[in-house]
Amino acid sequence: MLEITNLHATVGEREILKGLTLSVKAGEVHAIMGPNGAGKSTLAHVLAGREGYEVTKGSAHFEGRDLLDMEPHERAAAGLFLGFQYPVEIPGVSNLLFLRTAMNAQRKLRGEAEISGAEFMKKVKAESATLGLDMDMLKRGVNVGFSGGEKKRNEAFQLGMLEPKFALLDETDSGLDIDALRIVSEGINRFRSAERAVLLITHYQRLLDHVRPDVVHVLAKGRIVESGGPELALRLEAQGYEGLAA
Amino acid sequence: MTATLPETRNAEAAAAVEELSSYKWGFATEIEQDFAPKGLSEDTVRFISAKKGEPEWMLEWRLKAYRLWLKMDAPDWAKLKIPPIDYQDAYYYAAPKAKPTLASLDELDPEIRRTYEKLGIPIEEQKVLAGVEGARKVAVDAVFDSVSVATTFREELKRAGVIFLSISEAIREYPDLVRRHLGSVVPVRDNYFACLNAAVFSDGTFVLVPKGVRCPMELSTYFRINAENTGQFERTLIVAEEGAYVSYLEGCTAPQRDENQLHAAVVELVAEADAEIKYSTVQNWYPGDKDGKGGIYNFVTKRALCRGARSKVSWTQVETGSAITWKYPSCVLMGEDSVGEFYSVAVTNNHQQADTGTKMIHMGKGSRSTIVAKGISAGRSDSTYRGLVRVGPSAEGARNFTQCDSLLIGDRCGAHTIPYIEVKNPSAQIEHEATTSKISEDQKFYAMSRGLSGEEAVALIVNGFCREVLQQLPMEFAVEAQKLLGISLEGSVG
Amino acid sequence: MSALPTRKDEAWRYSDMAAVAALWPPQPARLISVPAGEARADVLRVTEGGIHDLRVELGAGARLNLALLVQSASYARVALVAHLKAGASLDFGGVLLGAGAVVQEIVTDIRHDEPDAESRQRVRVVIDERAVGTYLGRIAVARDAQRTDAAQSARALVLKRTATANLKPELEIYADDVKCAHGCTVGELDKAGLFYLQSRGVPRPEAEALLTRAFVADAFAGLEDAAAREALEAETARWLEARA
Repeated sequence: MLEITNLHATVGEREILKGLTLSVKAGEVHAIMGPNGAGKSTLAHVLAGREGYEVTKGSAHFEGRDLLDMEPHERAAAGLFLGFQYPVEIPGVSNLLFLRTAMNAQRKLRGEAEISGAEFMKKVKAESATLGLDMDMLKRGVNVGFSGGEKKRNEAFQLGMLEPKFALLDETDSGLDIDALRIVSEGINRFRSAERAVLLITHYQRLLDHVRPDVVHVLAKGRIVESGGPELALRLEAQGYEGLAA
Repeated sequence: MTATLPETRNAEAAAAVEELSSYKWGFATEIEQDFAPKGLSEDTVRFISAKKGEPEWMLEWRLKAYRLWLKMDAPDWAKLKIPPIDYQDAYYYAAPKAKPTLASLDELDPEIRRTYEKLGIPIEEQKVLAGVEGARKVAVDAVFDSVSVATTFREELKRAGVIFLSISEAIREYPDLVRRHLGSVVPVRDNYFACLNAAVFSDGTFVLVPKGVRCPMELSTYFRINAENTGQFERTLIVAEEGAYVSYLEGCTAPQRDENQLHAAVVELVAEADAEIKYSTVQNWYPGDKDGKGGIYNFVTKRALCRGARSKVSWTQVETGSAITWKYPSCVLMGEDSVGEFYSVAVTNNHQQADTGTKMIHMGKGSRSTIVAKGISAGRSDSTYRGLVRVGPSAEGARNFTQCDSLLIGDRCGAHTIPYIEVKNPSAQIEHEATTSKISEDQKFYAMSRGLSGEEAVALIVNGFCREVLQQLPMEFAVEAQKLLGISLEGSVG
Repeated sequence: MSALPTRKDEAWRYSDMAAVAALWPPQPARLISVPAGEARADVLRVTEGGIHDLRVELGAGARLNLALLVQSASYARVALVAHLKAGASLDFGGVLLGAGAVVQEIVTDIRHDEPDAESRQRVRVVIDERAVGTYLGRIAVARDAQRTDAAQSARALVLKRTATANLKPELEIYADDVKCAHGCTVGELDKAGLFYLQSRGVPRPEAEALLTRAFVADAFAGLEDAAAREALEAETARWLEARA
């Protein structure tokens, strides 16, 4: 589903990704772990198409399409979802308006019909209930006045609403208390299916207690230095990132 | 600004007037003529008045204005660069049918057609807006089911006792009413452009809502599609008697082209005790091309007199069009506990210039005013908020709150905020806040990563920025105004 | 600038034109120049009528802390034009105290000519009797003066119905990546605050004087020299006592 080959990327003058290769198939959940500054967030932003992140070498394909050739919104319409580490606030634009606009923009790009108001609200009610977001919050500006945990729950809510094929979740567990972590994890687990894939980017192992990955990768100094099963995450938790292959 | 008539031209005009005044044109017999000859003179004024079949006092009023105008100077204090205007090189009266008609929509400028489609205007309505031959009846049918619906509107208003007429009709049918109020809020000598309007106004609207009547409909849904081309010097007078309520909507989201470069409208509102007038405007005149060529000069005087106790006037405007905008819808808060509101969005792109804002003149005890102004500048444009809050010695306990926010898109534009606060009463409470911001890359990327294109993302963020103002608009219009903001900013985002 | 201004001139719209004519032409502007990288503090007290022009020039990274107290018996105008180079920082605190029938004006024109400069302005106007107190404050951000950070707070206290306060804060912005804000209030002393003090036993006039002193002292908060700050505050207190 996602094929990354020898990816090099720079931010400003600095090269952050230095030949990263990764393959994620439909139905799989991968986790990328690594120390601060390893390039985890850079990878997320490069895949989502953020301006200022320049790919100097290598390729990234999503379902056979060249991701790097697509605008951020085209990647979203193709089914790629980025869950932000720091979701931004957009004053004056309500969460509901934002989501509906995004949903219809994606549908339009895919040549599908717009979602009706009734259908949209039905879905909103179903998804928000499971994530403990009430209607008052959804009527407020996007993430405006939300706590850290509420912002992350809102990201999980958008994941459920937009129904992408691939979820790329950047430090989704940071800033969450135990209850919120459980709620968000349940959201991710509901998302899992044979047709979909997830790439979890995380510093800590604790999210992986709730969302069990098929494959764990270790990212250090811009490359995948080790891959393995869930036991790799436990080992990292116990031993730390020090002493990883340079 | 250099729009002042050169002295020599003033003298010439005066001489021409002198000469013509002794020469009697048989206006009464010339009435079939569709437009006044080019140029502005006392005879142009007489022609217009005769054409409209106006009573003597109206003609005198116009002539007085014209003579005064000759001695006045165009205002030069706005942050605007206005090319010299040749007032003799223009027509001041043209019948509505002078507008060219098209055989079909295919003949319409593709740029305008595209905008119509983006706004989601139905085909039949597009035909009316574009002036396609034979379209009017069809469109009225399509939009209102049948002509009879329009008639029903008229009848419903009549039953409620609401007078809703063109100002020409009103001058003929209700001369005393018009005479009492015309120029009572914006005096003839108020300013250069208002004075010119008084002399040559072609048509406009008169509304009177009698005591205790709540106008049964927005005076817009009907008016919007049926508005005649009232031309460049429009005159509107709305009177809400004691306890009356009316909501009036002016303008159109669809882009409008006009051969007349200068538009100098005057709007006067009178609110008696406990009356409320809500006046909404969406202005989308042709702004000129990307290089700043062409475009309308929109020099408008709008003022409300809140005469009675607890009277209330609320101005809402969405200004996206025109090459140059000079406009300050104001409230004179005379009545005790009267309320004035001004909600504004002004968007400038490419080479547009806007100097717009409001004046809140507090004279009544306990009068209150609220100002929310949002300016968005893009391209190489300049947008200025200019507002006056004045509290007189008698305005015990007056309150004002002002919020001015500017949003800059790109680094070649300008955004300016110029509030004037003049207070002569110790118990007044005035608060003013202004901020300046830009669209952050973070916000734009977030929206794009959820599937919005760059332009859609900007439009969404801009709409959020303007929300407090847009929500003041009548529902259906708010939706169109939102789309309009996005369209106006097209091409401004890299 | 030698031609006598008129009221049509935006910068003179609230001036006492007869007094201006008598004082015209004004003395050349006094220059306060801080070289690149240096820091300086200055306190100005204007007790004499007149037109006082000041020109401030701040080099790259220079810092200036300027406090101004205007309290004169005849027409006084203090007009300050400041040019800020890259990374410069200006802190301006101005207070205008007016009584009798005096017209006084503080006019500031802060020009962010280059990127990364910062300016802070706090102006407090207290006017009594038939006095007119005016503050015209402009912040101009030049094209490409990115990352400018400018803030301005202007507040006026009108003590009598016969007095007039005019405030005109103004932003002129030609760069998009900037933080510019002004806030402006005119009003009475906080009624809740007055009541609180009274309920704790402070008589009304003293409570008013106390709150007014606090209102004014706000302007001098940026002044690091404690002795200078206290001197200005004492000056204010004396003026207020004379009113009571």
